[in-house]
Amino acid sequence: MSFFSWGKAALPTFSRGGIHPDEHKELTEDLPIEAFTPTTVSLPVSQSLGAPAEPSVVKAAKVKRGDVIATVPGGVSLHAPVSGIIKNVQTGPHAALVYDTVITIQAKAAEDEPEFAEEAGWQDLPIAQMLERIRDGGVVGLGGATFPTYRKLMLPKGAKVDTLVINGSECEPYLTCDYRLMLEESDKVVLGSWLIAKIIGVANCVIGVEDNKQPAAEKMRQTIAALGLEKLEPKVRMSVVVTQTRYPQGSEKQLVQSLTGRLVPKGGLPLSVGVVVQNVATAYACLEAVRNRKPVLERVLTVSGLGIKTPKNLRVPIGTSVEDIVAHCGGYSADTVKILTGGPMMGRTIADLDIAVTKGTSGLLFLTAAETSLDGYQACISCGACVDACPMGLEPNRVSQYMEAGRPLETERFGVKECFECGCCSYSCPAKRPLVQFMQVAKATYRRHERKSK
Amino acid sequence: MSESSPTLHLSSGPHIASGRSTAQIMWMVNLSLVPALLWAWAVFGPVVLAIAVSSILGCVVAEAAACKIAKTAMTVFDGSAVCSGLLLAYTLPPGMPIWMPFIGGMLAMFFTKGMFGGLGYNIFNVALVGRAMMMATFPVEMTTRWVAPHLGAAGVDTISAATALAQIKLGGEAALAKLLAAAGDGVWFDYFVGMRAGSIGEVSAVMILLGAAFLLWKGIIKLYIPISVLAGVALLAPFSLSPGLYMLSGGIWLGAFFMATDYVTSPITPKGQIIFGLGIGLLTGIIRNWGGYPEGICYAIMLMNILTPALNDWFRPKRLTADGVPS
Repeated sequence: MSFFSWGKAALPTFSRGGIHPDEHKELTEDLPIEAFTPTTVSLPVSQSLGAPAEPSVVKAAKVKRGDVIATVPGGVSLHAPVSGIIKNVQTGPHAALVYDTVITIQAKAAEDEPEFAEEAGWQDLPIAQMLERIRDGGVVGLGGATFPTYRKLMLPKGAKVDTLVINGSECEPYLTCDYRLMLEESDKVVLGSWLIAKIIGVANCVIGVEDNKQPAAEKMRQTIAALGLEKLEPKVRMSVVVTQTRYPQGSEKQLVQSLTGRLVPKGGLPLSVGVVVQNVATAYACLEAVRNRKPVLERVLTVSGLGIKTPKNLRVPIGTSVEDIVAHCGGYSADTVKILTGGPMMGRTIADLDIAVTKGTSGLLFLTAAETSLDGYQACISCGACVDACPMGLEPNRVSQYMEAGRPLETERFGVKECFECGCCSYSCPAKRPLVQFMQVAKATYRRHERKSK
Repeated sequence: MSESSPTLHLSSGPHIASGRSTAQIMWMVNLSLVPALLWAWAVFGPVVLAIAVSSILGCVVAEAAACKIAKTAMTVFDGSAVCSGLLLAYTLPPGMPIWMPFIGGMLAMFFTKGMFGGLGYNIFNVALVGRAMMMATFPVEMTTRWVAPHLGAAGVDTISAATALAQIKLGGEAALAKLLAAAGDGVWFDYFVGMRAGSIGEVSAVMILLGAAFLLWKGIIKLYIPISVLAGVALLAPFSLSPGLYMLSGGIWLGAFFMATDYVTSPITPKGQIIFGLGIGLLTGIIRNWGGYPEGICYAIMLMNILTPALNDWFRPKRLTADGVPS
């Protein structure tokens, strides 16, 4: 809390670390979600955490929007986001994996496009059937984690859960897709949240929205009041809590502490303190999967950064290529130095415009040299800025020094395995040290070492 | 597609960074040291500027040489060599021959920083090692070339007997009584603003606090170390002949705010910093009261510098878990 905010009631937030970078949300926050459908889509089969899906279609086959095109036995499937003809099933680029099997569909409207109309009585479906629809609808954590949602909602036996946290924090700078979704589709987000609360059997649902998204918080409150949720069974007490604008507010452990005051134990999940966390876009997708039997076919993402000609919030089919989005947004300038999928804190750089939007792609950023740092790094001066910034209370400084000394397997005690790579440390480091990267390399070294010693 | 295809960079995140850089921090520290130098100029004359330049030159030359020899990136522009040079000058008597600080700066920078691998790798505070080396090399000049302060009379080269702490150390109660009688009623005020004999940058607590306030405002230093240093000294002040004079003399203000807070050689967590500061304060008091030197802040800080890695191991940050205990 700063000196100037003394006397004002402080908004809830997590207890240690965090940063507040320039938000840059003004570039897109007032732009309504715009639909864009390219003529071809290319879907990598690896769209979520876990085993990759197996293609279930072959070249030249005709598909209809919503048809399954790849499956994982007992897991989440991948669906054709547009009707058309399978152009190819071959190796192609993937933002994270570099290469993956990619299914390309040439879009061609079918005579009987599925409508995905609302099904009467969806509220009263058995829980098992709801979970099945969420699984079959290919719903994964759309905040970026892409963990299969049905698995998160299928609580282990004996789990005591009393609170559902709906994550509308969107703490990454630039990104405004969740904000726009809350503004424009608040009814679906709220109903989806109710649905998830019903599935996991909790009577308390808290929707966390950061202070810099007040209009969204207000809209969500109005919607909760207007929807008449009390007519639905079971009754779920829903509330919107405005939290401090502080990155990484949207990280599960941080948000759970901000909203419930509970601390998730080391290596544990929010489940262990009675909380399940879902992103607003995931709640929306769950509702569509259960109520309309509509699988995840598209997603909203923010196209932003000073490098792109016309920043937008877009709703695009999964599989839309970066190239098509760039063309739709008027191209990017010659002073663009980095293209990212995701936000600027945790997003990945890409160098191939053939890369396609996947279920976890929340943003596409075109950063110029003025917005991003390309400087080399210097020695650690032990200023402690990274330790102060770390929301987990880890010691990135020590990890980096041990990594430089070639001693990666001695870094566990400084918290390597508890690091979720939010990037607060690197952001704060005056010597511009790539502390997250040191963490990643240390983790990878441990993984390799542990595999070998098994 | 855009008409030209720019070079796209690939890297691990995050892709944005705070505006803070090492060089910016160092130059801000240098800026915060300017008031104390201006004060010294006003009361001791322009010679203090020559001493500062000489010391800075010594540090910069040695740093450049170390970078050349080690074939590492040239770091003389990051402001840290200038900072060490300035701080070394601040610990020297204003009547010192101006070539000596150059030697001292070179020795300090080369052996304390260059040989250990440059900025970030030094174990001891560079300026203080410089002072200690100069004490050993030029013992007479380091302990006798004091100048009586005289506002507005720049260039008047009065060699005074000694600093207050030295006089009291040697002469006991009689010396204290003589000193207080000579100084008159305004003695406390004079000592606080800096109308006293002493090292160039240490005499004015006011100017030091002004610079420190700037660093606090910019978030470069925190109060844990300075407050605990002063508290440690204050704890042993009652054992001195004049606790008031004891708190306002010597280099404790400069040491507490500008030497002990050096990032590289001080601990990181608040608890570690408090123990570190208290240790410095208590050691200073022990040296002053029962040791052989009139002032002990320099050696106290260097002794606690040795403990810094251990303090970082003993006092770790609190984890975001129920018990907060690091693994």
